[in-house]
Amino acid sequence: MASRSKLSGIQRQVLALYRGFLRTARLKSPEERHRIESVVSAEFRENARNIDRKNFVYIEYLLRRGKKQLEQLKDPDITGLSTLEINKVYKPLNLK
Amino acid sequence: MAAALSAVVSAKLGCPPAAALGSWKGSRISSRNLVSMKTMTARRGLVSLRSPRFRVFCAAKAETVGKVMQIVKQQLALGEEAKLAPESQFTELGADSLDTVEIVMALEEEFGITVEEDNAQSITTIQDAADLIDKLVAGGGGKPPAAA
Repeated sequence: MASRSKLSGIQRQVLALYRGFLRTARLKSPEERHRIESVVSAEFRENARNIDRKNFVYIEYLLRRGKKQLEQLKDPDITGLSTLEINKVYKPLNLK
Repeated sequence: MAAALSAVVSAKLGCPPAAALGSWKGSRISSRNLVSMKTMTARRGLVSLRSPRFRVFCAAKAETVGKVMQIVKQQLALGEEAKLAPESQFTELGADSLDTVEIVMALEEEFGITVEEDNAQSITTIQDAADLIDKLVAGGGGKPPAAA
């Protein structure tokens, strides 16, 4: 069988984080799940388009931030959507 | 070459060519075949007859492949008339690595299985996905995903 070129370690981390968000979204109400999936998908794809794949420092920063957001999202009382949106709005301020 | 091989396999297995081709692909990894056939034999009381066992195996495989194709069409928003083959690669169908993650997650829910990270990353074709699904379903290797 044909095989895809091996994914780099950082690529695996990104995909694992994406899987984590999708798994956690399953635990929410159907409406909330749909919203979470839309927001998460849009943000991952936007970053995939706009970030230089060799900008490891920034990618690792985003991975750390994403993992924190995922941990917050796992809290049953948190829907997560507004958190993601707020972070999105203020993201430019985090760039130094 | 592929056509001739398909014909040979079809003749031996007594299956439709499409299913036979799928079976031939699957047979490259003997441990998977053995697991699947053993389970089917135990479950359905089949005995030593070669042909019935292979026929059941092919039918199950074809059913899984068909379901996988349906889900891939949905996930990638392909038209119903899109023609997929078991050896179609997700990347050939326009999927990037994020799409592939979504496809695997959708398959997990459909078949009530959990695909481990390493297994998920080794899936690049529809046949890959169907083989792994049959293995997990037959072996009880996965647990149902957390209830929504």
